Amino acid sequence: MADTLHHRALKVLVIEDDNEMASFIEKVLEDAGHEVECARDGAAGLARARAEDFDALVVDRMLPEKDGLTLIREFRDAGGTTPALFLSALGDVQNKVQGLKAGAEDYLGKPFVPAELAARVEALGRRQTGEPQVTSLKAGDLEMNLLTRKVTRAGKKIDLQPREFRLLEYLMRHAGQVVTRTMLLEKVWDYNFDPQTNVIDVHVSRLRSKIDKEFSEPLLQTVRGAGYRLQG
Amino acid sequence: MKLPTNRPAWLTLERLAKLPAKLAGRLPRFPDEIRLPIPERVRKSMPVFMRTTTFKLAMLYSLMIAAFSGALLAYLYYSTVYYIRVESERRITVEFEQLANAYYTGGMERLSQSVFERMTLSGSPFYYYLEDTSGRKIAGHFPRLPDDPPESGMKTVYFDFELPQSDGTKVLRPAAGRIVRLRDNGGSLMVAFDTAQQTVIVDRIQSAILVAAPVALILSLLGGVLITRGAARRAEELAKTAEAVIGGELSRRVPVRGTGDEFDRLAQRINAMLDQIGKLVEASQNTGNAIAHDLRSPLTRLRNRLELALASPMTEQDASNTLGETVEEVDRVLDTFNAILRLARLDAGTEGLRVRMDLSEVAEELAELFDPACEEAGLTFRSQITRNQLVLGDRELIGQAISNLIDNAIKYTPQGGSISLSVTRGAEAMIDLTVLDTGPGIPEGDRSKVIQRFHRMDSARTQPGSGLGLSLVQSVAELHGGELVLADGNGPPDRPGLRATLRLPRA
Repeated sequence: MADTLHHRALKVLVIEDDNEMASFIEKVLEDAGHEVECARDGAAGLARARAEDFDALVVDRMLPEKDGLTLIREFRDAGGTTPALFLSALGDVQNKVQGLKAGAEDYLGKPFVPAELAARVEALGRRQTGEPQVTSLKAGDLEMNLLTRKVTRAGKKIDLQPREFRLLEYLMRHAGQVVTRTMLLEKVWDYNFDPQTNVIDVHVSRLRSKIDKEFSEPLLQTVRGAGYRLQG
Repeated sequence: MKLPTNRPAWLTLERLAKLPAKLAGRLPRFPDEIRLPIPERVRKSMPVFMRTTTFKLAMLYSLMIAAFSGALLAYLYYSTVYYIRVESERRITVEFEQLANAYYTGGMERLSQSVFERMTLSGSPFYYYLEDTSGRKIAGHFPRLPDDPPESGMKTVYFDFELPQSDGTKVLRPAAGRIVRLRDNGGSLMVAFDTAQQTVIVDRIQSAILVAAPVALILSLLGGVLITRGAARRAEELAKTAEAVIGGELSRRVPVRGTGDEFDRLAQRINAMLDQIGKLVEASQNTGNAIAHDLRSPLTRLRNRLELALASPMTEQDASNTLGETVEEVDRVLDTFNAILRLARLDAGTEGLRVRMDLSEVAEELAELFDPACEEAGLTFRSQITRNQLVLGDRELIGQAISNLIDNAIKYTPQGGSISLSVTRGAEAMIDLTVLDTGPGIPEGDRSKVIQRFHRMDSARTQPGSGLGLSLVQSVAELHGGELVLADGNGPPDRPGLRATLRLPRA
């Protein structure tokens, strides 16, 4: 069940006026196995987003006809629930806050690493299909009870620090997907800057030593040039 | 049954509480702008000071003074005239009563006698005239009555008469009198009063008022003009400075006279604003220079590498390597570019929120975030954080600043060293966040340089990073009204280590 979900191709609408950027995004997402449609301006994008049931929207902020913020606002006001990601050169924290306030689920500044975009779109597309209220998470033989905060692998209890717990929770909620370092810093630590030291890597490798060390099959994998993936 | 109350139902406590504010809203407000009904053409040709609000206010004020003093003078005038009139009426009445007494006790004979007596009395202000029924004069100062006597009762007359002087000439004198038709045999008696003196008093008052009022008006206007001219001149100085600044003379400032008045305060504010604008302009120039300096060389390097790759035949492996390196180089350029933009926005003061936040909490979070990385790099990490140190700030920016300080410490501290992060109450309502390392430190002479944009100490050229780390910390500190202080650490003189303190004002 989980596996079929993870390999389902997402239908993504990319609203971007710059041709080169649009085809780059298209290529990145298609390489990740998704089905991509492009709209060249805000009005056309909004019309498409309303007309068809997409799994995710990737929206530029500065668009002809209708800017991205207005587009998302209008889309949400009309009851549109498709998760959206802003992809914009306006990449500051404040811009990001604006974008999220307008109703987008995620925000990525340009320029971006292709893997980052692919990972975030993947995370967005899954959001819709995930069960809204869960009390426990499961990835392979790894289990996490969100109420008692107990984590076990193959029935064996694993002791985690509070932050490690949150880190693992995020990874488990996105099991099977690539999760980037920036995403982890954003979602687990709630910071948007980019530390030059590889702080996240160290945290992940500590977590890995706790959950994978005594088991033959590693669950937490490093995806070269992108980030991490917890096997589903 | 409802209990009767003294208080009407609408008069609730809440309404009562709101009353002062409501009343304040209803009170007439002094007009913000006064528009005198002056045609636009005339207005344009008036001197600057006459067009100022202050002048208009002075004008209004002097007009009000004029109106008040006019009313006062009018009251003075009428009450004096009225008093004089009443007084003379009273005296004539007294005179008549005495003469009437004579008439009732001794008839016409006694009356005429009495009139004769009174006419010879020296110093009397009264003039008399008595005639019989047929209109023949019996006694009196005048040849005949100035007016026909009334059928019965009395009437008041005002007239001029010729008063014979000792030298034989005659002077025309004004007089007011009362003519009474005598009862029984019907003769007429007039008692008149020389009003020359009264008229003089009234005339004096009139002329005094006529002279004084315009003089007062002119003086108050003149005062207004004099007062406002000073203010108008100072406003003009402001306008001139603004014009000069618009014209590109960004160093011009409004003169401050040191009187501490509104104009001085305004001038100081405007000067402070100009200082800020100057700083921003300088910052944007710096940004331009920085972009030229720090982006041109890596871009040139990049171009050369691509050119070289294009010119030389290479294997697929070589090509792949070159492309990989190129992407890395481009990423570095983009990082630097983003950092420059970030700094420019920080310096412009448009970045960041100001909310009450717990600096200790952010420090704890970053300590927790960096601790494993330090350990991994072979460094001991310690943190000593005093709880509940509140500042007004942007969590993200402060977090980034702390992260930069720790990044910097990790980068420059060799294996086996230690880094400590502490948050303590500093002096004078400040909070000190200190990152102390056991690296080489920064020589005192170089400290201000490393905070400057795009400076990276030469020994550190091989390290990654845009060289903007400490500059950003400095900008974040300034944005929050604090500072970044660099000092030697606790190590030996040849390797003192660096003590970087981010000092922020306590909330």
